Amino acid sequence: MNNPLTKLPSFIVYLAIWVVFIIIDYAFFTGTFRLEARYVLLDSIISWFIFLWLGLGFWFPAKFMSLDENSLVKILLQHFCAAIAASLIWVSLTYFILVLLWGVSVEYKMFVDGSLIWRLLSGIFLYIVIVSLYYIYIYYSNFQSKLVKESELRALIKEAELRTLKYQINPHFIFNSLNSISSLTMINPDKAREMTIKLSGYLRATLANNEKQFNYLGEELENCRLYLDIEKIRFENKFEYIESIPEECKKLQVPNMILQPLFENAIKHGVYEALDKIIISLKCSIKDQYLNIRVENDFDTESISRRGQRIGLNNIKERLRLIYNQDNLLVVNNTATNGNNGSESKGLFSVSIFIPIDNTNLSRINDGKS
Amino acid sequence: MEKVKAIIIDDESLAREIIKKYLSTNDKVELISECSNGFEGLKAINEKKPDIVFLDIQMPKITGFEMLELIEEMPVVIFTTAYDQFALKAFEVNATDYLLKPFSLERFNEALEKALFLLKDKKSSKENVEKLIGQIDKKEEFLERIVVKTGSKISIIPVENLRWLEAQDDYVMMHTSEGKFLKQKTMKYFEDHLNPEDFIRIHRSYIVKLSQIKQIELFEKESYHVILNDGSSLPVSKNGYAKLKEIFN
Repeated sequence: MNNPLTKLPSFIVYLAIWVVFIIIDYAFFTGTFRLEARYVLLDSIISWFIFLWLGLGFWFPAKFMSLDENSLVKILLQHFCAAIAASLIWVSLTYFILVLLWGVSVEYKMFVDGSLIWRLLSGIFLYIVIVSLYYIYIYYSNFQSKLVKESELRALIKEAELRTLKYQINPHFIFNSLNSISSLTMINPDKAREMTIKLSGYLRATLANNEKQFNYLGEELENCRLYLDIEKIRFENKFEYIESIPEECKKLQVPNMILQPLFENAIKHGVYEALDKIIISLKCSIKDQYLNIRVENDFDTESISRRGQRIGLNNIKERLRLIYNQDNLLVVNNTATNGNNGSESKGLFSVSIFIPIDNTNLSRINDGKS
Repeated sequence: MEKVKAIIIDDESLAREIIKKYLSTNDKVELISECSNGFEGLKAINEKKPDIVFLDIQMPKITGFEMLELIEEMPVVIFTTAYDQFALKAFEVNATDYLLKPFSLERFNEALEKALFLLKDKKSSKENVEKLIGQIDKKEEFLERIVVKTGSKISIIPVENLRWLEAQDDYVMMHTSEGKFLKQKTMKYFEDHLNPEDFIRIHRSYIVKLSQIKQIELFEKESYHVILNDGSSLPVSKNGYAKLKEIFN
């Protein structure tokens, strides 16, 4: 850190303060004592011109005697010595220039001789004032840079949190898909090739997108469809997928990989656990500055889900909260309609996520419409 | 020579298909049934008494492990699984084989040979599987559901519905909101596998759910009973009373 007064605008302000000081000093002494005005003015200019440069130098004791690192006694003692030394230098220099070099009347010399002790004391006093102001400045700018550092740190933590919350490929899915491919190579090579291509596309998109924070809903959905297609080959006709998305929604940006876990959830708790066919549906709409995406699946209420059903959804909620600073962007709805005697008991599970539409998103809708 | 009977239990038809194909290369083994879930599998095992079962772990309704708990006569089991840390750990120390999907014909044949060898000594294979299940139990966190079989009916009981448990010889009687169920397990098993924040063993013969306790009564001198929400009154041992006191104070 450098002395802030050495920068040009603040140095001018500093000079101006001393000019005002000289004027006040001059007015006071010519008004109070019967002294020769030209000597008073000369005295004022010489003293305060010297002090002006000394004041700039007071920066160094303030800078190197940090308040945090030294004991109070040590600080006070050192500044006390510095103050006396500075004041002595100041008074003797002034005396030397004014009285010995320039020369004043005998009368004014007597005034100067008599005022030496007061000059010494006011020098000490001004030292204290200036050093204190330097301390305040140092403290304030430290505080500022600490704030900046803290907010930077927070941003880093947030980024790290987001990264861990982001979707990760489920190994179970990968290995089961590979097993299906292995089986298809024997019974239906064409289908095996199709599935390999789909799985590659899905993996490529997932790996490539992992660095991005946002993605277009349209692209996001394409990746989800790949995923669903693969699951469909695995589970044949155990589920059906229906989607209805207005064209304008596809151009909106959503957090990258935010939909994938919703479908995975539907597959895991709907399809994996059911014996009959399950319907998974996706609906998108725009309402009140929010893009609403709703994934719905029916499920067998008889099956009691095992652990881990909430972790995925909580991750999404947490991600949305971190990105948009809102807590209510994921809503889960679970309606179980229990049939009699456990027969035909189907429930409906739906997850709605709400993406705030910001200005960049809005302009995209308008572009799409025009 | 009579052929060895095998069945496949897997919810994915493609996964069954590959085992079927692999089995067809072996003339010692005959596939007698294919099942797509644990219920079908249980029925097939109990009715058709296969020698070897190829069993997936994650399936709808009940898992492969839960299904094995309900089987009367244990066949030689070869697990087939895509990815399961618990199972992997458990299998490492056991003779019964497991196949990680996708697996090669060579690996499959290796497992099959091992199974055929074990078939000659059925008793030890049964012990192996039981040991295996025991190990999985240990690895698992707390129970979330319990599978029981009464007659031919299979019930899956969520742990939330459990009220209290009572020791009955080799069995444990589970009193639940859906009625009473008998399970062939020890009290120790339940004590270890129920979340101690919810359940407490108050007596050698009783485990109760804490939220079911209505009051604790002095029964005789130095002897207490707990009264449950459903009206039952159960004795509390000295040890159990100390535990209760710690929780409720």
